Amino acid sequence: MKVIIIGAGKVGSQLVETLLNDKHDVTVIDISQEIIDNFTDNFDVLAIKGNGVSSSLLREVDCGKADLLIAVTDRDEANIVSSITAKKLGTKKVIARVRNPEYVKEQEFMREKLAIDYIINPELSTAQEIMRLLFNAHTSYAEDFASGRVRITEIQVNHESELTYKQLKDLNLPSVIITAITRDGEVIIPNGSSYIYPRDTLYVMGERSNVDAFAAAAGSTITSDRIKSIMIAGGGRTAYYLAKNLEQLGVAGKIIEQDHERCRLLAENLNNTLVLHGDGTDLSLLKSELVEQTDAFVALTGYDEENLLVALLAKQLGVKKVITKVSRSSYLTLLETIGIDNVVIPKLITAGDILRMIRGGRIVSMSLLIGGRAEVLEIITRENTPVINKKLKDIGIPPGLIFGAILRNGQVLIPNGESIIRSGDRVIVFTLENNINNVNKLFGIKGRF
Amino acid sequence: MNLPIVMRTLGILLLCEAAAMLLPVLVALFYGDNVVLSFLLSVLLAFAAGLVFFSVKVRDNTVGYREGFAIVAFGWLLASVFGALPFFFSGAVSSYVDALFETISGFSTTGATVIPDVEALPNSILFWRSFTHWLGGMGILVLALAIQPALGVGGAFRIMKAESPGPISAKLTPRLRDTAKLLYYIYLVMTVLCVAFLDAGGMPLFDSVVHAFATLGTGGFSVKNASIGAYNNTYYDVVITVFMILAGINFSLYYLAFKQKSPREFLRDEETRIYLAIIAVYTLVIAVNINGTVFSNVLTSLRYAAFQVASVITTTGYATADFNLWPELSRVLLVTLMLIGACAGSTGGGMKVIRVHLIFKYIKREINRLIHPRAVKAIKVNDTVIPETVIANVMGYSLLYILIIILGTVLLLTQKLDAISAMTAVASSLGNIGPGLGLVAPSKTFYPLTDFAKLFLSFCMIVGRLEIYTVLALLFPQFWRK
Repeated sequence: MKVIIIGAGKVGSQLVETLLNDKHDVTVIDISQEIIDNFTDNFDVLAIKGNGVSSSLLREVDCGKADLLIAVTDRDEANIVSSITAKKLGTKKVIARVRNPEYVKEQEFMREKLAIDYIINPELSTAQEIMRLLFNAHTSYAEDFASGRVRITEIQVNHESELTYKQLKDLNLPSVIITAITRDGEVIIPNGSSYIYPRDTLYVMGERSNVDAFAAAAGSTITSDRIKSIMIAGGGRTAYYLAKNLEQLGVAGKIIEQDHERCRLLAENLNNTLVLHGDGTDLSLLKSELVEQTDAFVALTGYDEENLLVALLAKQLGVKKVITKVSRSSYLTLLETIGIDNVVIPKLITAGDILRMIRGGRIVSMSLLIGGRAEVLEIITRENTPVINKKLKDIGIPPGLIFGAILRNGQVLIPNGESIIRSGDRVIVFTLENNINNVNKLFGIKGRF
Repeated sequence: MNLPIVMRTLGILLLCEAAAMLLPVLVALFYGDNVVLSFLLSVLLAFAAGLVFFSVKVRDNTVGYREGFAIVAFGWLLASVFGALPFFFSGAVSSYVDALFETISGFSTTGATVIPDVEALPNSILFWRSFTHWLGGMGILVLALAIQPALGVGGAFRIMKAESPGPISAKLTPRLRDTAKLLYYIYLVMTVLCVAFLDAGGMPLFDSVVHAFATLGTGGFSVKNASIGAYNNTYYDVVITVFMILAGINFSLYYLAFKQKSPREFLRDEETRIYLAIIAVYTLVIAVNINGTVFSNVLTSLRYAAFQVASVITTTGYATADFNLWPELSRVLLVTLMLIGACAGSTGGGMKVIRVHLIFKYIKREINRLIHPRAVKAIKVNDTVIPETVIANVMGYSLLYILIIILGTVLLLTQKLDAISAMTAVASSLGNIGPGLGLVAPSKTFYPLTDFAKLFLSFCMIVGRLEIYTVLALLFPQFWRK
């Protein structure tokens, strides 16, 4: 598939990396020569310096023959114009990143009248992700597939948990699959002889109630009380969307923001959220606003370091649920060691949004895990899907690829080697990133729309 | 100060007024009143003065803020000076001061009268008296704006801002002239509806028209000495109560509701919601208070409570009962209603519901600031942020309003009035209501007051109608400096 990416920032490069793994032809356009040189050196892509709004440049890169154009420069209007232009020139699908809150209401208009196929708003997606983290029963990540029947959950193993120092085959697993274990930042695809150690993170998949039961057994704290109060450090766009979402649920939120102008803007656009002017790392301010009594704390300032520090501070003060935004995934390995468990990475969320769109078709739902190193896909099989009507043990499944669940006639089946996938089944697959091509081969997905 | 444009605009206003005075001439001819000559003489004088003003040569037709203020303040004064002539010439009142008081009371939609026996007056005089309410309600200059050719850029809007009540003025249409016309159109339709309802209930056509003028303009002049109470008719009471309440709502909302074809626009407006809630709560409390003591029956109590509450909050000043004789609680509650007044952008006076609402929001924010010293909070109405400058303006306005009432009360105490009468007379004049308590109760008139008191209260009426700042600006020496 031929893909053009305009704007090679954080999201742009994450996309390039993922798209190259999927074996697509990628053209990158950016106005900075430095970035272009960097791309040419590091990736097998065509990198061109120029303005992505210019129709002559778009013609030059043959965008009429492109399957997809993704406009992710830092200017919303440029992204909108680029996508409209490309669409007019014949690009099959266009995606634009639009992040200005004022344009959120315009999304439908842009999709229907301006023919932009997909609008990505990283801050909005991040806020939605945080909402999911906040209002899910588990302390950590959980995502549902097959219309909520199948769940994959991230579980932190406790010191006191009965699971520790045992081999998987000795555990009496109530029909769930442990798809992956991360230990000190390393991803392990377990088999029956793998051990579980304290502080391991397990990725458990299965029928929803079973997963929840397992999580409880693993000593993962299930906070059944709903979050009623929340404090947010940093008043950027993500904080704004989050506060808006919280207001709709009737949750009292407090935002701490350093810039007074920004505070005023937030206060003017939010109704029931208390906007505080101050430094999110200011302990006396946090204490005077009773941080220790709030149910959740979200660190959303523009600096990763500040977010990590303030999140640790909040944890130390006894906030039950702490969520941290981190921009650089290079910090990811560090996070587990310092005890920060709930992390959102906007660029991965955005990349996930776009990949879902690209793979589209029969992939119903998709999500990036472990900092983008693994994915969970929900695929609907058809008559011509290669894997059907064979025993799973005969297919030759590569390591790092796990069939987590099969949904057939409304029944959730946890497959084993003897299981056979039929046409029309919904299959939920866990895979490491480097295995994506194997998944595509097995399921006959050609990365087309 | 661009004096020529001010003169010329005032000239147009006087010509309009001369034309308006032709209407009572027709009424006089129809009813065979012997005051035709008084009206014709007034028309002639207003016309002559208007022509003199109009013929001033204008080189530059820009209207700045100063010119806007001057046009509105002097416009109201001049319109009253000439509008008083028919009362004076016809001998309806005994002195020119009384005539002036009656006219200013009319134009400012106050409705306080110095005529003890209005039933003895000829129909044409009664018509003109109530017609001043109707003209003054929506604004005499807004009317002139709707008719006259356009002023320089921004001029018309400055005039409208200076004349229309409420802290925030908005255009409904791209051209201000169209907005003025639109508002008058809505006003006219509602007046015709009110006439139709009253007439259908059996009120004589002349009485219906005159009362509709005063109801929609929230004035309060009646053709009966005992006001609406003279008819003792439940149907009239209900119709007038409803139309008074309608006249107290922001007129832009009628336009919006009509455009969106949904009456929900009214309830979507915070000010209207509060306004209606105040009316409901006050009516209930007062009805409970007067039930058993003044009236023996619950429905009768409700009917009289609702009428008086609507009359005072919309600053109309009609009466079906002398609330001066009601229990203390009801009397004081009605005085608080005098201060609150109607909605911004209506024909009513008072401090306006929106200002009181903003004061409460401001107080809430200040208390919140004690608990959260670092909080940044915006004050919003209808989900729109109210700029801090408007908040400051509202706070200043309210303080000034109270201050004028206090100083005015002190001043009137020198004029042989007791404290209650003096205080309510000033509050009632400033809020353009009409009657007060004590010596100025609904059953009495302002006739016995001294000339000084009458002139001072007339001044209060104009100050209140033009929302203080417009007039006060003219009293500042800086205003006149170059």
